[in-house]
Amino acid sequence: MAMIEFRNVSRVYRTGDVAQWALRDVSFALEAGKFVVILGPSGAGKSTLLNLLGGLDSPTSGTIIVDGEDISTYDADTLADYRAAKVGFVFQFYNLIPTLTVLENVALVGDIAPRALDAREVLAEVGLAEHLKKFPSALSGGEQQRVSIARALAKNPQVLLCDEPTGALDSETGVQVLKLLLQMAQSHHKTIVIVTHNQSIAKMADVVIRVKNGTILSYDEQAHPLDPDEVEW
Amino acid sequence: MLLRKLLRTAWLYKGQFISMIVTVCIGVGIFLGFQMEWKSIEADTAQFFEETNYADFRLYDEAGFSDKDLDAIEKIDGVDAASRYLSLTAGVKGTDKSVALNVPETGTVSVPFVLEGADFATDREGIWLSDRFAAANNIAIGDEMTLTVQGKSLTAKVVGLCKGSEDLVCVSDSSQMMPDFESYGYAFISDASLRKALGRDYYPQLNIRSTLSEDALEEEIDDALDRTIQLHAKDDHLAYSMVQGETDEGKTMGTILPVIFLAIGLLTMVTTMHRIAAAEKIQMGTLQALGFRNRKIVRHYACYGLFVSLCGTLPGIALGYGVGRLFIDPDSTLGAYFDLPAWPLVMPSFCVPVVIGIILFMTLISHLSVRQMLKANAAETLRPYEPRAMKQGLVERLPGFDRLGFSTRWNLRDLLRHKIRVFVTLFGIVGCMLLLVGGLGMKDSTIHLIDTIDDNIYHFTTRLTLADDTARADALALADEVDGDWQASSAANFDGESVAVDVYQAGTDNIRFIDEDDNRVDLADNGVYLCLRLADGIAPGDEIEFSPYGSDDTYTVRVAGILRSLTDKSIIMTDTYAEKIDLPYQITTIYTRAEDIPDASFITASQRKSAIIDSFDEMMDLMNLMVYALIVGAIVLSVVVLYNLGTMSYIERRRDLSTLKVLGFRDGRIARLLIQQNLWLTLLGIVIGYPVAINVLRTLIEALVAEYEMRLVISPASYIASFVITCGVSLAVSWLVARKNRHLDMVEALKNID
Repeated sequence: MAMIEFRNVSRVYRTGDVAQWALRDVSFALEAGKFVVILGPSGAGKSTLLNLLGGLDSPTSGTIIVDGEDISTYDADTLADYRAAKVGFVFQFYNLIPTLTVLENVALVGDIAPRALDAREVLAEVGLAEHLKKFPSALSGGEQQRVSIARALAKNPQVLLCDEPTGALDSETGVQVLKLLLQMAQSHHKTIVIVTHNQSIAKMADVVIRVKNGTILSYDEQAHPLDPDEVEW
Repeated sequence: MLLRKLLRTAWLYKGQFISMIVTVCIGVGIFLGFQMEWKSIEADTAQFFEETNYADFRLYDEAGFSDKDLDAIEKIDGVDAASRYLSLTAGVKGTDKSVALNVPETGTVSVPFVLEGADFATDREGIWLSDRFAAANNIAIGDEMTLTVQGKSLTAKVVGLCKGSEDLVCVSDSSQMMPDFESYGYAFISDASLRKALGRDYYPQLNIRSTLSEDALEEEIDDALDRTIQLHAKDDHLAYSMVQGETDEGKTMGTILPVIFLAIGLLTMVTTMHRIAAAEKIQMGTLQALGFRNRKIVRHYACYGLFVSLCGTLPGIALGYGVGRLFIDPDSTLGAYFDLPAWPLVMPSFCVPVVIGIILFMTLISHLSVRQMLKANAAETLRPYEPRAMKQGLVERLPGFDRLGFSTRWNLRDLLRHKIRVFVTLFGIVGCMLLLVGGLGMKDSTIHLIDTIDDNIYHFTTRLTLADDTARADALALADEVDGDWQASSAANFDGESVAVDVYQAGTDNIRFIDEDDNRVDLADNGVYLCLRLADGIAPGDEIEFSPYGSDDTYTVRVAGILRSLTDKSIIMTDTYAEKIDLPYQITTIYTRAEDIPDASFITASQRKSAIIDSFDEMMDLMNLMVYALIVGAIVLSVVVLYNLGTMSYIERRRDLSTLKVLGFRDGRIARLLIQQNLWLTLLGIVIGYPVAINVLRTLIEALVAEYEMRLVISPASYIASFVITCGVSLAVSWLVARKNRHLDMVEALKNID
């Protein structure tokens, strides 16, 4: 049975009489434990798709099933609970709380996630054991993104959603971050969905979904995804 | 974790949080201080009146009240207590000092509050002396004093030191602004001592404690005594009326100044919290994305308002007590004015819900600011805050707009786009002007009043007070001997209120009269003159009626003119006119420039003009203190408001300013851009502030110093000082804020996070 299922999902933004179709009648299904890349140019609808999957937004029409639950009918509080329990986000610009330390940013999720992992352990796993008391502004971009990953993982979610996780990083750091993501996803048995416009990242994926103008162009399962070290950036 | 975030975020925005806390603290402190001032006066004097059985009513009959009269009054249903009473001015033999001598016959009404020494008793001989008069003249218990009472000497030992509610405001007459216990005090003697000194009992006054209305009591008294008697309610008594006046003034002040501070503080809070909420939008979105419910996020940010309000109100309450104590203290000017035995601070009960309301309101403001940000879904919240989209406005369509310089067009658009920030800034500047012009204007007006009295009205050097039973021939002879003007003052009923009727013979120019515009008026013999307070709706040529107390006669007279009275509410006329209308009068005062004053038994007090003017100087000391406090308050207020709003505005425009820097604009040019906008708002605020301040000051003067019919005067120096201080503060704050752009990290500020 699919872990994630989109059934005829559409998202329309209306401004007065003007309707902008961010997603139009999108349908696909994803198995658990897969590394999925959603690929497309700017304005294709990738982020909208990710937002709907992560419960940050609600579809105008259609159904979204995650782990057997129809999240498209959830109200704001239930969506919040869904995000707390089942979804981990990694943003392009990290979105760390600047007034909390590294440890506090990760431990913060312990207040809301029902099965949260120990913050120190997770931070050690991502190689930041020496930086627990630092504030985000004292870290490099790559280190901040590691904190963001640790925060997402500390919730012990079923799905890791990453919106351009390497978009703000140089290629070398980006590779390191991707490797970390893959490694963490595999060791913690998570489904990982990355939204990107970078074709190189797509070569690492189990599934590549191409999006353009709000619709799915293609859905490809790659039998032999490449290791990050094997990819030519 | 979120608590740590709260505290650290407060530190991050410490400039804004501190400014909000300071305005709330000052607003609450001044509000509470002013409320405690009038409430403490009201409560402390009420307590004192109760402890001394202060009379609710006073009956006057120059012929004196008999025992039979007292019995008749005591039998009236509704009269709780009554006592025959004597109050007259007695000279202290061998000095030029005098005291108000009080004799409560039965010791049940208007009794002294003994601080030290023997308890007051109606059969005990001795003098119970005002403790302050004793201290000022080095008189102690056991010392002997000789008082001159109606030409007779009364020698007795001081057996006690006391306070007296009848002389709560111990002034010799209404022209004396402040008590001067060195030259004038009060004392009590018993009925036994009075009989011994005078050889008889003589009580022209009867004091009554009763809860009946004035009309009801008057009717009962007329029936009981079978004659018409002058009845005065306590509202007409100097002590009570001064307390009422001070309380009313305090209430007036308490509703103007503190409200300005509080309003500015709360407005600043509204705009600042909105801006903080906008700056924190992405963090709110992050918390939503992590799975925090909206309720929890709103509660977290509502705590910012709660945090600011608690940090502001708690020290504000302490400040309020401090401000209150400045006023309510035996060593303060109020303490010099009211002679009370105790000065506890009392807070009106409504202050508690007001302070709680302020805390709740500020929490609500931050609650609402955040709720607005969280209206949309989490994806929308994660987008950076965007101000409203730009549209072509009216100003852009005005001819010549395109020819304006870049800075001018930038600032005009920015101001029109952020109307609330503009409004709050203007409100702050207007508030600043109000305090500056108000304070300096009040000082100018008071100085003008004192100068008017000194130069234009009081041309005498000595004022002689005569005994109530002085023969007219003796008074006229004395006036002639010292080449003086004389005054006959009595009380009358005019249009339902008690007023003074003053008859003057001012031929030697020792006392002068002025009109509303401070022009000199020579009194004509063809009518009466009304003071400004009585002249509402009355013009020269109109006819009025008045009825002197103690007489059944009513006089219909022609109004000859309107005068500015610096003392009582009064109807003034010449002696010639008084005789024309057959108005009986008793000469009470002589004004003279003679240096040698003959010794006459009927002179009860002699007061130098310099002493009168000195008492005004004491008032000036309080005035100066108030002015300095207002100037400091104005500066603090404007610094806090302008810095807070300026900083928030800078943060909002950081991206735009960074773009300018990247394009090649120099730091100085960008700084001038920021300063220009603040300067516009300051100048506009000053233009609005002047008329607002003048009108508020006029209202304050009418409410606070109505008894002096003070003219509103604001000197050019005060106008200039207000302008310079306001502009100076604004420029200084603008420069401080503009300096930030020197350290602007263009790359960081320009990072696109969409």
